[in-house]
Amino acid sequence: MAFAIPGVASFLLSIGTLALIYALLAIGLNVHYGYTGLLNFGHVAFFAAGAFTSAILTVPPPGPNAGYALGFGLPMPLSLPVSLLAAAVVGGVLATLVGLTSVRLGSHYLAVATFALAGIFEDVLVNEEWLTRGTFGLNSVPKPGRAVLGADLWQVSYFVFALLLTGLVYLVVERLIDAPFGRLLKGIREEEQAAGMLGKNTDWVKLKSFAIGGMIAGLAGGVYAHYIGSVVAVTFVSLVTFLVWVALLMGGAGSNRGAIVGAFLLIAFREGTRLSAVNDFVVSVLPFEASATLVPSLRFVIIGLLLVLVVRYRPAGLLGNPDELVLSEGGER
Amino acid sequence: MSDTENVLEVRDVVKAFGGITAVDAASFDVPDGSITGLIGPNGAGKSTMFNLVTGVLTPDSGRIRLRGEDVVGEPPHRIAEAGVGRTFQTPKVFAGMSVRENLAFAAKDQTGESALGALLRPGTVAKEEAEIGERVQETLEFLELDHVADEYARGLSGGQRKLLELGRVLMLDPELVMLDEPAAGVNPALTDRLLERLHELNDEGRTLLLIEHDIDLIMNNCDHVVVMHNGSKLASGPPSRIQEDERVVEAYLGGGE
Amino acid sequence: MADFVGVVQTLLYGLINGSVIAVGAVGLTLSYGVTRFINFAYGELLTLGAYTALLLVGMGLGLPVAAVVAVLVIGVGGVLVARVFYDPLSDRGALPLLITSIGVAFVLRNLVRAAAGTEARQLPVPLMRPWVVAGLRLNPVDAGVMIAAVVAMLSIHLLLQRTMLGKKMRATSGNEQLARVAGIDTDAVVRRTWLISSVAGAVAGVLLAVQFPPFRPTMGWDFLIVVFSATLLGGIGKPYGAMVGALVVGVAMSVGTRYVATEYTMAYAFAILVLVLLFKPEGIAGGEL
Repeated sequence: MAFAIPGVASFLLSIGTLALIYALLAIGLNVHYGYTGLLNFGHVAFFAAGAFTSAILTVPPPGPNAGYALGFGLPMPLSLPVSLLAAAVVGGVLATLVGLTSVRLGSHYLAVATFALAGIFEDVLVNEEWLTRGTFGLNSVPKPGRAVLGADLWQVSYFVFALLLTGLVYLVVERLIDAPFGRLLKGIREEEQAAGMLGKNTDWVKLKSFAIGGMIAGLAGGVYAHYIGSVVAVTFVSLVTFLVWVALLMGGAGSNRGAIVGAFLLIAFREGTRLSAVNDFVVSVLPFEASATLVPSLRFVIIGLLLVLVVRYRPAGLLGNPDELVLSEGGER
Repeated sequence: MSDTENVLEVRDVVKAFGGITAVDAASFDVPDGSITGLIGPNGAGKSTMFNLVTGVLTPDSGRIRLRGEDVVGEPPHRIAEAGVGRTFQTPKVFAGMSVRENLAFAAKDQTGESALGALLRPGTVAKEEAEIGERVQETLEFLELDHVADEYARGLSGGQRKLLELGRVLMLDPELVMLDEPAAGVNPALTDRLLERLHELNDEGRTLLLIEHDIDLIMNNCDHVVVMHNGSKLASGPPSRIQEDERVVEAYLGGGE
Repeated sequence: MADFVGVVQTLLYGLINGSVIAVGAVGLTLSYGVTRFINFAYGELLTLGAYTALLLVGMGLGLPVAAVVAVLVIGVGGVLVARVFYDPLSDRGALPLLITSIGVAFVLRNLVRAAAGTEARQLPVPLMRPWVVAGLRLNPVDAGVMIAAVVAMLSIHLLLQRTMLGKKMRATSGNEQLARVAGIDTDAVVRRTWLISSVAGAVAGVLLAVQFPPFRPTMGWDFLIVVFSATLLGGIGKPYGAMVGALVVGVAMSVGTRYVATEYTMAYAFAILVLVLLFKPEGIAGGEL
């Protein structure tokens, strides 16, 4: 008996799953920026590291003309936990390495350094073709359980799986933040020097923050790889980092619920405006003939404007606490 | 061998910024159990001295000893762990945290400060949090800040921020308490209370080192005074002797405030 | 390989690239000097400069005239962008400005994309045979680009050193509060700095478009790290440092591409940037430049 869902439901599920992946990314960035005040402009690198880790662990071992040198072909779905755990670990390790180089920098220099390091990382992924197949990407990442469940049931199951995973990460991060660990992060965010004078090793704590946020982004990468079934280096560009920033600031930095809500709003907007009905409507109301790139471009114009407006009129975002994280102080450098 | 009757010994410390020598071969002692006043005209190098002792800055040369142990080159958090707490001339409170959280932050050796401890040892963390909470409450009452305990530090007045910073230092429970102008910006009624508190702390056995501009306050409350001028020590001794020291009078009145 | 001519040739290309980077880096560093935030939308001025020139050429203007008009239009446009997006936040510190500039970059880049499409375009630059002197090749177009870049930098130098505005800019950049106390209308200085900075960005954009055709709407964003790299290497806020930094970055990119690995052209600039931040965040020019 085949399980079938209507097209609308399928569309909503795909938006939902993508939104959950972005929610994970936003929670990771929230650990960095929202709680610790670290301006991480290279988040996409940790996401990419996780995605490629999962991909390389699970794609079939390379045949004669595979075009890539590494593939461990771990059996699915049994090895899904291994694949995702490895993605998180590699994301965390990369974040720790980035943190080791940059954690002493003033906040704005940290932004530029992480931005540049993520750029280098993307360059490496694109150019080291033996590992990533460059611009072609690794396109046979298994979708765990799809063969057994069939396309529609698999989509539902994977969404539920991603939902549970995001819920778990949310609970873990909330617990960390409510504990003295969260107090430690926030103190460093507010006044790093004073935190040091009170006996706290601020560099070490920032490094931990880097690692935890990076692990969550790496995990998001693994979830993404097994959802899409293909991982392509050129898609991990700085745009992804900044979309996560928009989601976090819109939802409210310093609030994990805000991070999740922001991610859903952003993805709903981005994917919703991709519907052909929306496209046709926009084109029909325009007083001139629209080019093919017009609507996609306007989408990002609006996302950019959203970021500008949130910073100017609602710096705490939808769910952030205006007394806690004020986007107006700090960062003298 | 160093003299163990001193908590802090500063020897020939030099610190220059660009071409300007802010601290120039300064040497002085802070006797154990004393309330020591560090005074001097603006630009004498007092705040720089605080930053050198607490590891914010590293001296170009010279020695700084805590209980006989050289601490030059140690990072700030190590010096804090070694028993030094300080406040800043302009208070650096955690504005986006409640007054209670500000205080709890400073407690030492918290299991829940490690991520794994927070996740895996909830029982221990809860027990410690309860203990810390009690100490926070005591500190709030001691400084009469309990009525603002759950407000964000962002909303505090300048005087309240000074008190909160002092409270944080108390939570750290240091042997040597260094206060940079604790009474500046605090209203007179509050100042009297603050001084009372400082004497109580001293009676408990803590050593205090104060930077203060109010000479009367220093003379009436300290039992040892160090006078800095142009980056080095001009004089030191009990207040009665300092008050009569010709050089001090000249530096102060000649230098102008 | 002891290929002397090859080495000199590589250095020459590096200097040409460096001179274009320098124009952009000087523009970025000047605006940083008076506004104190790292402007992630700066690269879009380069894109806008190139595309405006393209538009004007399409309307029938010759390339030199189109380039000059484009540069002036984008200069004024840059001031408007600052007026609309940055001025309202000027009393809230640097971080909101920095994040706003990312939003502005999104807006500007995608407006260009909406209007011009994503296809690669190019300005009508005549194909010319390179001059060959003692085995060294130099394309007349590249020579023109370098001369234009040097003229742009000389103009900025004269402006900073010989004009009242230049003095005020340096004073505001050194200490804004003091400048205000001294009676300088710092708001006006900031506006004019935006103008000069945007003009420099547009010039760099046109030169880049001429030197490395074809270009796309992402050209400025992609080039941003190169400009950051030069700016920080020279010590942010220091125009002469930025010029030196740009030449170093240009040569490093050229040498790295030729002798280390061809596919990593941009990564050399990225690497310089990271190294500077790690080991000498104040830049190579320690003093007042």
